[in-house]
Amino acid sequence: MDRDDGGTPTGPTATEAALTVNGIAHHLRLDARVTLLDALRDEIGLVGTKKGCDQGACGACTVLVDGRRVLSCLTLAAQCDGREVTTVEGLADGGRPHPMQEAFVRHDAFQCGFCTPGQIMSAVALLRERRAASDDEIREFMSGNLCRCGAYPNIVAAIREVAGQGVG
Amino acid sequence: MTMTEPVTVVGAGVDRVEGPHKVSGTAAYPSDVSYPGMAYAALVRSTVASGRIAVLDTTAAEAMPGVLTVITHRDAARLAAGPTTSIGPAPPPPMQDDLIRHHGQYVAVVVAQTRQQAATAARAVTVSYRAEPTAALDDTELRVDPFGTDVTRGDTAAALATAEVVHEATYRTAENTNNPLGLFTTVAVWAGDTVTVHDSTQWTSNTRATVAAVFGLPEEAVRVYAKYVGGGFGAGLRVWPHVLLAVLAARTVGRPVTLTLTRPEMFTGVGHRPDTVQRLRIGARRDGTIIAIDHEATQTVAVADENTEPVAAASATAYACPNVTARDRQRRRHIPCPGSMRAPGEAQANFALESALDELAYKLGMDPLELRLRNDAEVHPESGLPWSSKALRDCYAVGARRFGWSRRDPRIGAMRDGRWRVGFGVAGVSYPWWQVPCRARATVSRDGTAYVRSAATDIGTGTYTVMRQLSAELLGLRLDQVRFDLGDSRMPAAPQAGGSGLTGALGNAVYAACQALVRAVLDLVTTDTQSPLHGCTMDDVMVNGGRLHHRGDARRGESFAAILDRHGLYELTADGTSAPPDPQQIGMAPAGAFAAKFVEVHVDPDLGLVRVPRVVSAVDGGRILNEKLARSQVVGGTVGGIGQALLEETVTDPDTGRIANATLGDYLIPVNADIGEVDVVFVGGPDRTTPIGTKGIGEVGLPGIAAAIANGVYHATGTRIRSLPITLDQLL
Repeated sequence: MDRDDGGTPTGPTATEAALTVNGIAHHLRLDARVTLLDALRDEIGLVGTKKGCDQGACGACTVLVDGRRVLSCLTLAAQCDGREVTTVEGLADGGRPHPMQEAFVRHDAFQCGFCTPGQIMSAVALLRERRAASDDEIREFMSGNLCRCGAYPNIVAAIREVAGQGVG
Repeated sequence: MTMTEPVTVVGAGVDRVEGPHKVSGTAAYPSDVSYPGMAYAALVRSTVASGRIAVLDTTAAEAMPGVLTVITHRDAARLAAGPTTSIGPAPPPPMQDDLIRHHGQYVAVVVAQTRQQAATAARAVTVSYRAEPTAALDDTELRVDPFGTDVTRGDTAAALATAEVVHEATYRTAENTNNPLGLFTTVAVWAGDTVTVHDSTQWTSNTRATVAAVFGLPEEAVRVYAKYVGGGFGAGLRVWPHVLLAVLAARTVGRPVTLTLTRPEMFTGVGHRPDTVQRLRIGARRDGTIIAIDHEATQTVAVADENTEPVAAASATAYACPNVTARDRQRRRHIPCPGSMRAPGEAQANFALESALDELAYKLGMDPLELRLRNDAEVHPESGLPWSSKALRDCYAVGARRFGWSRRDPRIGAMRDGRWRVGFGVAGVSYPWWQVPCRARATVSRDGTAYVRSAATDIGTGTYTVMRQLSAELLGLRLDQVRFDLGDSRMPAAPQAGGSGLTGALGNAVYAACQALVRAVLDLVTTDTQSPLHGCTMDDVMVNGGRLHHRGDARRGESFAAILDRHGLYELTADGTSAPPDPQQIGMAPAGAFAAKFVEVHVDPDLGLVRVPRVVSAVDGGRILNEKLARSQVVGGTVGGIGQALLEETVTDPDTGRIANATLGDYLIPVNADIGEVDVVFVGGPDRTTPIGTKGIGEVGLPGIAAAIANGVYHATGTRIRSLPITLDQLL
């Protein structure tokens, strides 16, 4: 794949995808190999979504596609043609952070912060999936999101609090 | 001058000040940094552990779309060695010859217009090797006392010969890999003969010094940023070869270059905790008094590299024992360079020593907790000096009470929870003290706010937050009137975020800078007849509410803003430094943190599964600057300890030297469901060594967990596991 002077991919592996990200429509002309994660970060400039393994094993790249949590490193951008993507940058309501974001700060549910966007996206989806009825359930259904700093007990506390408020 | 009397800012559970950036995705880690025209680099790694490059064909890769250059040892610039630091020599510079020293060594770097083009072209580089025989993974060299830390105290052999009870066993710990979640990234941007580097480092000052030395630049020509780092756990303490390759690649293509390691590269390129084999012999009297400890630890190290990691040495100061030999050995292998990983040396040594103590307790028929209390070192065992602080007895007492140790049935396998066998385990931790010099700078402005900074890093440890708290307290300002910044090598030089040393080193530098700043403000007014503070000395004044005022009369004073304004100054700046004290001079042995760890272990008798539903850590961390964040540090160390105990093992194929499980799907680290209730309590008070009274707590959370779990497994099952990780096959 080559790029013309403007950086737009051309040639046989070029493809197009129209996706909505955090409510904004994007029409991308892409190298077909580009994952949703790389498209968000490199093409659209939304670097809040993190790459922790690029192999679908750590959950740092978790985003919502049509409301469901997916690993954006295992999803090709081209697969998201016509879909709605929500990233950590799209959670705030205007200037007001999502209750889950506030709860993560209050409970110190992170240290280095690198896994945090993925944890928060997973946590928001967890509430919608109604899988936060108990601490054990939260632990189980948050186990696809690794945290090497070991903030798990605080992550559970943050989710428990938001679940208890009935906010989703 | 003294610090403000009502201590309201420090100690309080202030939320992490950078938290809003981290939860909104706006904290920019090195991998989030981009520049116009930035190119992408990808690495090619060797597929043998030892030998020479025979053929290295880059023709196909160079012809691929978007490829800007392919650099190999044939055309890489000659790079000078990086400087030796407080943790040893720099890793050897990359791609200087055709010699392969370990599997995964970099043999080429590809630079292309896009990430995908670089990765694809890297796979098109063809390399073949004249490999050494596979048995050559082991080098012949066995290094004796490689760190100069071996200890001989008393006559261990004679004491062991006369001891009423002797326990002897060999303990093993697996190689572990740090695996911070943030893939290490270096972004390099040249402008003429200067270079800006954004790096996943725990030590900007060292990255700057190393890049300058390697590329023959003055240090002022190199600027290193690390505002946010996606974890380190020691992996960011050395300037690894990929950092230099990114800088080299950017110079070669004349464009900004970003290089992000892949997860498999994170297993071979940024260090690991070396594996150990440790022989322990402990001699005791029938009453439980330990009279001899002989600890010999052999770890592995890479060929042509050094890794400073004393293991056995810590056993010389853990207990009051008159006869000790502690010896470290290093065996060279054709493996990737090891490096520090959270609680380096101590994590391995503590497992061996605290397991051995548990075994000794059973031989003596004593409560393992009682045995530890009986042998508590009331003074520093090597120097005989009093500790600057030590509340280990309180750790045991408070921890035991919170845990419910008294409910422990001493009989093996007597406790059950349904079908699970239940065991209680305990371990003690005496973490070594370590400190290096640090600098900081403090400025107060005419608007009444302050700005304090240092080139340090915050890898998730809370440095941004606690240093802002400390600065606010020392200057008598509110938190929102103080900005603390770090992560820029142009700021005053700071040591690494490592060795549990940064909070003490930086905190005392901030203390000195803030003191000097207050003194500078006082210097303005003490000769100023218009000032109510005319004639005052530092002993007469204190700071509070943005004002400098007389200690005896708060009305007799004025605000920083008013003072600067009257003297026509926009701001006033002062520098501060800290240096480690000399124990003989202060007449005390500076103490690291102490801790007692209690765990409840459940073992499935049929499947050998081990669960840890409950951990209590009682920690003497000196003065705690922010209890909320300090607790997180210890919780995180506990999770790391559970990983070391039950899950983590970097497996190297003995025939090829290839790491067989170099992904996060294969190398297991704890997930949320692996972690139960984690209770942390801080005991003790401010340490007497330094004005701020802290002791480092970044590492004390990890050691002790693995031993306490192994001890709990024995209590539950009667099976003694002397090899980490404890896996179910060992319990079937």
